[in-house]
Amino acid sequence: MNPKRILCASHGTDGARAAEAQALRFCHSEVALHHLIVVPEFWQGMMGDDWLNNAVTRDRFGSYLEGQLDGEVAEVVERLGRATRETGADFSYESRFGKPADCLVDASRGMAFDLVVIGSPRPKGVDGLRSRMDLGKLTQALQVPLLVVPHPGS
Amino acid sequence: MVYTHKHPALLIMGVIFLIIGATAQFGLQEGLIGYLKNAKYLGEMTGLAYTAGVIAVVVGLWHYFGTHEEGNLDYYLSTVAGVIFILLVAMFVRWYLAPFVAVLSKGLGPVMGAKYLHQVLGLNYVVLGILAGILIVNVFKIPDWAENGIRMSRLGLKTGVILLGTLYSLAELAHLGRLSVVLIGFFVLGSVGLVLWFARRRNIPNSMGGVLSAGMGVCGVSATVAAAPVVQAKSVEIAYTIGTILLWGVGCMFLFPVIGQLLSLGHIQFGAWAGTGILNSAQVAGAALAYQPDGIETLKVAEIFNITRVLFLPIIVLWLALWYVRREEGAEAVNTGRVIFEKFPVFVIGFILMFALSSTGIFAPANHYKGKYFDNDIADEKLLKPEQVASLQQALPMVQRLDRQAALTRLIENRKVMSIDDDATLRGLVNAKILSKDANKILKGAHKAVRHTAKKIKKFRQWITLLFAFGLTGLGMQITVASIKQAGGQPLVIGGVVGTAKALLSLLVIMLFVQETI
Repeated sequence: MNPKRILCASHGTDGARAAEAQALRFCHSEVALHHLIVVPEFWQGMMGDDWLNNAVTRDRFGSYLEGQLDGEVAEVVERLGRATRETGADFSYESRFGKPADCLVDASRGMAFDLVVIGSPRPKGVDGLRSRMDLGKLTQALQVPLLVVPHPGS
Repeated sequence: MVYTHKHPALLIMGVIFLIIGATAQFGLQEGLIGYLKNAKYLGEMTGLAYTAGVIAVVVGLWHYFGTHEEGNLDYYLSTVAGVIFILLVAMFVRWYLAPFVAVLSKGLGPVMGAKYLHQVLGLNYVVLGILAGILIVNVFKIPDWAENGIRMSRLGLKTGVILLGTLYSLAELAHLGRLSVVLIGFFVLGSVGLVLWFARRRNIPNSMGGVLSAGMGVCGVSATVAAAPVVQAKSVEIAYTIGTILLWGVGCMFLFPVIGQLLSLGHIQFGAWAGTGILNSAQVAGAALAYQPDGIETLKVAEIFNITRVLFLPIIVLWLALWYVRREEGAEAVNTGRVIFEKFPVFVIGFILMFALSSTGIFAPANHYKGKYFDNDIADEKLLKPEQVASLQQALPMVQRLDRQAALTRLIENRKVMSIDDDATLRGLVNAKILSKDANKILKGAHKAVRHTAKKIKKFRQWITLLFAFGLTGLGMQITVASIKQAGGQPLVIGGVVGTAKALLSLLVIMLFVQETI
């Protein structure tokens, strides 16, 4: 396997880091790695059924949460970008908001990728946010070879 | 940005409302109404349906055929589609679905004493409205054209609370206020302290402990939203906390009324328990209306507890802010004035103003007791019938308290309630649920015969019920399963322990110390 244009989906969890590590093994000066980071859509419902707060408090919370998520995205992008450039490969990234599988399928259509790399779902009992990649949907819709890297805890 | 969607949905909903209004007015729904036994809503089915229908058709025509430009008019009129959408769902549930569920449930026969399944589970228009909202957002999604208006559900609830101010007497407010300050004060401070203690024991970060303690202690998601930026909670901590609280809140909304029915709690006891034990303030109102769908005594008590909780919110947020600054290097200094000012719930001032206005006698004659007045100069046909007198005579030996015995004896002798004090005593007897269902029904009838409600206050009660139905259905449309699924990690463990302890302890305290009457 000698992919030249790799799409790596990672949001910085242990499973995603395993995917990053595998993608980096393919990287060298003739490779371009595109990093996709998805902000899952469940964040949209995070104010739940709050009705007591006024608009100022709700806006402050919204801005704060957005800042937190932006910071986390920037951290992951910065780390993977640095590691990719150290291999001599080109690095680009994009962040999307929505369902992980839908975002990945959309992103894979944006460029002519040779390979898509993702981490496998988190094993049962391991803490983390619940926003799984729908592998069924992905395998049906994806037009690019897919590499699912096992979770380090599995 | 232009908010209005060029979409025929609002126009269509308007036509549906007009059809409901017209078919109800001209008797075309008679068969359905007879089957569902929902004739009590006939007034709403015409008046409300026509009003909503005309507004929706006029604004809907403008939405669909008009030209829209960025500005205030566009923004505010764009919300009408969402408001009418919530109203249509809420009223469909209130007028048709909830009565249908009651018919089905009655078909199964009584399941607990004389109670039917829907009564035990609290499956009335409020709970079903919330469930319909949850179903819509999670299965079908909120349509784009309705999104901007869905948030108006919060305005509906706040307006409902403000109007609720017209229904309290000074004595009631003082008594409930004292009770709620004591109970909420103890349980809020207790659960905030307990969560912080647990957090220290389990070595979880201060930010997580801080945001979780606010959510578990004060008023659920609202407190989490207010406290998260102050204690600099991380995104994952916020998600865990809000998921846990939503899961707990929705569960409690169904569980509390069932437990209340099993323990035969009075309206005041249940309102106080829901107001103390349920984490999320929206579900407090939902559980109160689920427990007593055809009256608002339980809601009145529960909302006083909700208001007390929200008044505690700025204090708790300030406390957590100071607590966090002391423990974390680099934490932002706290601006005390800004925290208090920003978190103060302005709608509570509206509630107090309505209470004050009502006390001047503007809505009902000043000598009336919150719009209700006692008058036992009643027509002969409203006096107790001989068979009703006989039933009460049979029930008399079951009454132990002397004041209740005396009031009941006077009622039997005169076939009507003889004084305002007797009326209060007999109401207490009904709430205590000592007598049989039939005897209680007779006492309720005797009460209704001598107690009259001023027309304006009657309207307020109807509006309050409608606003809460509207608001809670709309809030249901904001509860996503995806956010509930985030419940997990340490917050689920600590939240489970503290939430259960708070619910059980508050139930015990209320059963031991809170009387059925005020």
